[in-house]
Amino acid sequence: MEGVNVSTHPEIPGEPIQTRTALLEKATATIQGFGPVNKIHQHLCAFHFYGHDMTRQVEAHHFCGHLNEEFRQCLIYDRPDDDGRLIGLEYIVSEQLFLTLPDEEKKFWHSHEFEVKSGVLFMPGVPGPIQRQDLEKVAKTYGKVIHFWQVDKGDNLPLGIPQVMMALTRDGQLYETLAKDVENRYDISFEKERENRAYIKGPDHGIHPLANAAGKGLQTVLKEVDCFKEGKST
Amino acid sequence: MAATNGTGAQAGKQIPPGKPMSTEQHMLDKGAQMLQSLKPIKHMNQHVCTFALYSHDMTRQIETHHYVTRVNQDFLQCAVFDADDSMAHLIGLEYIVSDRLFETLPPDEQKLWHTHAYEIKSGLWVNPRVPEMVARPELENLAKTYGKFWCTWQTDRGDKLPMGPPALMMSPQGAGIGVVNPVLVQNRDDKYNISSDALKTARVEIAEPEWLNPQADYWKQHNDKGFAVEVETTEMEKRASFP
Repeated sequence: MEGVNVSTHPEIPGEPIQTRTALLEKATATIQGFGPVNKIHQHLCAFHFYGHDMTRQVEAHHFCGHLNEEFRQCLIYDRPDDDGRLIGLEYIVSEQLFLTLPDEEKKFWHSHEFEVKSGVLFMPGVPGPIQRQDLEKVAKTYGKVIHFWQVDKGDNLPLGIPQVMMALTRDGQLYETLAKDVENRYDISFEKERENRAYIKGPDHGIHPLANAAGKGLQTVLKEVDCFKEGKST
Repeated sequence: MAATNGTGAQAGKQIPPGKPMSTEQHMLDKGAQMLQSLKPIKHMNQHVCTFALYSHDMTRQIETHHYVTRVNQDFLQCAVFDADDSMAHLIGLEYIVSDRLFETLPPDEQKLWHTHAYEIKSGLWVNPRVPEMVARPELENLAKTYGKFWCTWQTDRGDKLPMGPPALMMSPQGAGIGVVNPVLVQNRDDKYNISSDALKTARVEIAEPEWLNPQADYWKQHNDKGFAVEVETTEMEKRASFP
């Protein structure tokens, strides 16, 4: 498997944007307000793997905004460029908020301690000391990631149902090829950053045993159900 | 900027719970924003306000705010929020494809998608603050498209934090269980000082698509059946122990 697991960028079928359409969107962009989007303040790079399959790993670029000190919501793209594909989203909560979740919900959430301490989660373009101020907080949080577009499979369009994703929790999980690719592209060393972050602490109460799917696999399935509840007519 | 929220509305202040932002965090965010390019976000250049219905319970209906990026002439990707202000909750993602791309999808995939013709023709789908004349050509394009919308945070039922698996959403339609509650529409219209009814009249000339694939809007042809996503515990395929 090793070596084939490299990030891919889908070639979406479709015509180039027509000039008329581009002009229209310039107009709407100028006139409209973008309140929720303007709230997005940071770019985090990390890796996710599928809840049922650790051997499928994806480079994930998070664009996050805070709703308050304990809650971030992030859009996830396959690359941080103009043509980035929106492949998923992540919610990040403080340990305190995580502990308020019902046990049944906790399985969806993964810990961030290892991702931070191993140096693998980073903020592209932000100097180490500044990054670490924020990562000290991130190391104590939990995240819930859903991907809707399986770019690692070569899907050129978002197909199928949403996938619950997990994150790295120990050495040996991440493909060397994926790690090296990111290190080269951003001219960083995970190993060196790991040393810089040695002082950072995880959740105060330790990583919750029900987080990270309690160590199990999670697989989404689609069920056909009745969507007619109360009855309405025109 | 409208002061009122959309669906997340009333509880906007308590959802999600948590301490207010510290000055330090504000500074960190500002610093990051200055240093980082945030390129993909800058390509969201259209705000659409419309409505959606839960596929597993179409009596549950929400106002949605889509921030749209056009990737090419046939494909758009949207971040969906429950309001249009800076405290809006990110509630899901929608993908939009042209009729041309939609026809290339396998039938099992098509059943997850909804049509857009009705919500555009009926004036439910609007670009807030954009004059109708300016929006018109884009509306004509979009009337022929299909969307796939997954909701990940059910703020309408008061979820303080995102709970459970994602939910598939359907689009408003003109009859049956697809009809949107008029109160929801009135609230939205009041907020933006518009009239969906007047827009409906103005949009009469937008061409009705000649063909709407019957696999879309699944409930219509399938006896009011919809879809729900469930999560099952399995063995994980691993390459090192977990967690």
